[in-house]
Amino acid sequence: MTTSKALRTRPRRIHQTFWEKMEPYVFLAPALIIFGLFLYYPFIRTIYLSLFLTDKYGMAKVFWGIGNYTSIFNDPSFWRSLTVTFEFVVMVAVGGLVVGLCTSLLTATKYPGVTFCSASYAMPVAIASAAASMAFRMILHPTNGLLNILLGTQIGWTGDQRFALPVIAFLTVWLTSGINFIFISAGLRGIPPELYESASIDGAGYWRKFFHVTLPGLSPTLFFQVIINIIQAFQSFSQVKILTEGGPGDSTNLIVYAIYRDAFFNYRFGTAAARSVILFVIILIITLVQFSMEKRSVNY
Amino acid sequence: MLALNRKQKKAALTVGHWLLNLPLLIIILLPLFYTLSISLMPAGDIYSNRLIPSEINLQNFYDALFKNPIPRFVLNSFIVSTAVMLGQMVTCSMAAFAFSFLRFRGRNLLFVLVLATMMVPGEATIIANFLTISRWGWNDSYHALIVPYLTSAMGIFLLRQNYLTFAKELHEAAKLDGCSNFRFLCSIVIPLSRPALGALGAYTFLNTWNMYMWPLLVTNSAQYRTVQIGVSMLYDIDAQALGLMMAGVVIVTVPSLSIFVFMQKQLINGLMAGAVKG
Repeated sequence: MTTSKALRTRPRRIHQTFWEKMEPYVFLAPALIIFGLFLYYPFIRTIYLSLFLTDKYGMAKVFWGIGNYTSIFNDPSFWRSLTVTFEFVVMVAVGGLVVGLCTSLLTATKYPGVTFCSASYAMPVAIASAAASMAFRMILHPTNGLLNILLGTQIGWTGDQRFALPVIAFLTVWLTSGINFIFISAGLRGIPPELYESASIDGAGYWRKFFHVTLPGLSPTLFFQVIINIIQAFQSFSQVKILTEGGPGDSTNLIVYAIYRDAFFNYRFGTAAARSVILFVIILIITLVQFSMEKRSVNY
Repeated sequence: MLALNRKQKKAALTVGHWLLNLPLLIIILLPLFYTLSISLMPAGDIYSNRLIPSEINLQNFYDALFKNPIPRFVLNSFIVSTAVMLGQMVTCSMAAFAFSFLRFRGRNLLFVLVLATMMVPGEATIIANFLTISRWGWNDSYHALIVPYLTSAMGIFLLRQNYLTFAKELHEAAKLDGCSNFRFLCSIVIPLSRPALGALGAYTFLNTWNMYMWPLLVTNSAQYRTVQIGVSMLYDIDAQALGLMMAGVVIVTVPSLSIFVFMQKQLINGLMAGAVKG
């Protein structure tokens, strides 16, 4: 059977017509053209622009080498922006992990109403970051907002250096809670039930099972989810743009917002491009860490 | 006695679970209920710090739909999201077909190049894309919103994984019967991969509907503005019209939530595939 098939197909391959040779590329063309124009080209162009002084239309004017980078690195506001971004990323990653774990553990058993709880916890995946930011604008309203009514205070949450960043991080945790819930729940379902059964036979209680069966079984999922949260946190933009515009006093000037401000308020496309390259390198490093850790964890 | 005890135990367990769930449910659901509640309030209620409307008042929705261009934003977003969704279905199925059924020179290299695009965050190329679009004079147009998103590595990857589960013999047999590759794709592969296409479609439509940064950069006039931009700009128009803003949020969130409610399975499958990307 297999030999006859080989005989049948071999001559066809040798006498491939021109069309047969070209056809696969025709199938790929639409996707590759879009990738070329809107991914590969702008990627190269961003690196190119980052090495030039640009005019206010974003045209490269004078070759500047690493000038844009040295001016960014010498600018204290860049380091503030980076520090703020790192603080934000840590808050979002920790918050996302805690909320994701709690919601998935609470819906892992069966009881009346568990479907309602699961659906509620998954729901933020559908809500746009811009729409949620507008809702939070109302919740955080200094005089008539829900939070101040409940606390009996009159705090301008987004205008206060102490609160602005935690508030944006809280909103981001809320926005990512749905995807965290979905993934961690899937991870929980992937732990073989026999492990729990044998742990019960050995007389392990809830917390022992949690630390000796659930957490180790879930650790690849949790690790992956933390990485996803970190990458998403680095890319946050709408929350900042809508609620704080980077303020007060740069306290929420996350890296993507800094890129936006550089390009569209200051028309400094060269430095905006250099900041974009820095963002790319940071995310690349995180992705590479993820790959190497995943490869290692396959071994055990 | 024993049966009652077991019943009581079960009831206690349920109550316990609900008590633990309650704080989390409040955190997740309260923002939505509060938004809806504010949108239904007469203006006086908001400023007297009520949490529940004293009467259901539809004035905010009337204002949003008839005195503001929100219906236009909704139409724009429908056009853009539908076009992006259909476009991705076409380009991704074609590319995935080539990567899974056809043999050709450079196949692995091209596939790696496609996957590599997932490592580049969209925010890092957005400045250069904006400059390209401006140079072409595409600012303020539907094609500026649609064309850059007409394909995705995640879609190609998702469909290719699906196509690889099909028997190769199917393709061989069709070829022997003189069926062209294009016809094979349209009349056999696509109907068989409907669940995967549904996942891609639901995920892409929702993502496009919820998009914020790119439409913010390339649209200037209300004529082409999409829902998320339009709604977030209500604040700049009148910071006092809190009820109107919340009505706007409710209107633009209903389609997102409908996809979640009616296509939950497809959406979650798409999300699970999409989260490989950052």
